Amino acid sequence: MSLPQLRLSVIVPARNAASTLGTVLTAVRASQLPPNSYEIIVVDDCSGDASAAIGARYADVVVRLNGRVAGPAYARNRGAEVARGEVIAFVDADVIVAPDTLPRMLAALDTSPTLGGVSASHDDEKEAPNFVTEYWNLLLRFGEERYAAGRAHFASGCGAVRREVLESVGKYDEWRFATGCLESLELGRRLHEAGHDVLLDPALKVSHLTRWTLGSVCREVWSRSVLLARSLGYQRTRALIPGEVVFTLSRALTPIVAIGATLSLAAAFLPGLYVSSETAVALAVLLLANHSMHGFFAKSRGVGFAVAAAPIHLCVQGVSAVALCAGWILRDAVGDIVPDATTQAYSEVGLQTWPPIPRRP
Amino acid sequence: MTHAILDDSPNQMPTSPRRLTPRNSLIVVLPENHTISPAGLADRLPRGDTSDVDVIVACAGQPVNLHALQRTVSDAQFLLAPAGTSMEDLRELALQRAPGDIVTLLSGALIDASASEQAEILKSS
Repeated sequence: MSLPQLRLSVIVPARNAASTLGTVLTAVRASQLPPNSYEIIVVDDCSGDASAAIGARYADVVVRLNGRVAGPAYARNRGAEVARGEVIAFVDADVIVAPDTLPRMLAALDTSPTLGGVSASHDDEKEAPNFVTEYWNLLLRFGEERYAAGRAHFASGCGAVRREVLESVGKYDEWRFATGCLESLELGRRLHEAGHDVLLDPALKVSHLTRWTLGSVCREVWSRSVLLARSLGYQRTRALIPGEVVFTLSRALTPIVAIGATLSLAAAFLPGLYVSSETAVALAVLLLANHSMHGFFAKSRGVGFAVAAAPIHLCVQGVSAVALCAGWILRDAVGDIVPDATTQAYSEVGLQTWPPIPRRP
Repeated sequence: MTHAILDDSPNQMPTSPRRLTPRNSLIVVLPENHTISPAGLADRLPRGDTSDVDVIVACAGQPVNLHALQRTVSDAQFLLAPAGTSMEDLRELALQRAPGDIVTLLSGALIDASASEQAEILKSS
């Protein structure tokens, strides 16, 4: 008989996640892994609810951050600092892993020595609680299938990375990513640039418990798009082909068309056949620009769903377009995203404290 | 749910002033009717200077060898929850008592299983 070696540290950052955390951790505990071969680390990011207490019911380690909310990138880094496994898996507090998700991630890393990280994609078969949630999950799934396969895309929901690789690239960028948005994408890029393969495996699917509304989707798209234009995509779009972006909403042409379509729709309320025909043309162009996505929707959920999703997507693209412009303007006017002045000053003098001052990767 | 703390130290919650390093707590959770050897418990506790680690032993009901455990780990706080308290509730209660920023939770059942496995390996080697 041999003692199973601790191989995997599962880190779950939690911020006011009491409603979902128990389900998430139960799913992790149900993984097909030997009991002592993995540990669960819950990092409570200044929650105002019972997240830490719920974490303690299932976790091996609970890290409690106090002070002010620092975001999932920061929380994951604090979890990685206490992790003992040779592989670190990050699972969001609203993500349900299948019993074989984590074992398959470990197997993928075992099989390929050049593979630095592997992540799972959205489950498009799981029934969603409402139409907008179904649309959003499918849109992300489409983006993952279309733009991420074989590229440096590390998904935030559920991903595993070798600890030594994660440390060698400086872990998550907690300096710039104080909000839970695109930080894993940025990490994936750095892993890739450091010479490690990063795989987003479409066969590995995880389901998300977050219930989306049109408002929350628009807020999310706004955050992503501003961040993309202001920070992530800025230098990249200057250095490479403008179309070289991962997320479907940020394609260079689509937002321009979306702006045109939105303005045309507004103009359609004015009398005159000429304007209406312009609107029709703009809409046709917009639908054409998104034909692959609408095709994906139709294939996955039927033509009815694709038709019903079209207006929502138009709205989302409009928000994305405005946000991309806002992000670009902010970048030129104010610069890249940085923490507040106090944090910068503390960092400059090298102040040591707990929780630590955010660090640059 | 009522529970008793067999310790005079104040119950500190993690809202202490700014510190240089994180405060560590270790919670050992003992299931009901589970007897853990004092040596086995001491073996899993941090060695050397333990002043910066708060140890809490949480038990459902009173362990038979409570006094022996208390003698062995004299610095530890003992949390005695009523008999019948589930492991999950016990862990949650203990976390509320733990002042640490980084709280490690150990299952007493696993400690003994691990010790017996280690003994078996030593025998066979």
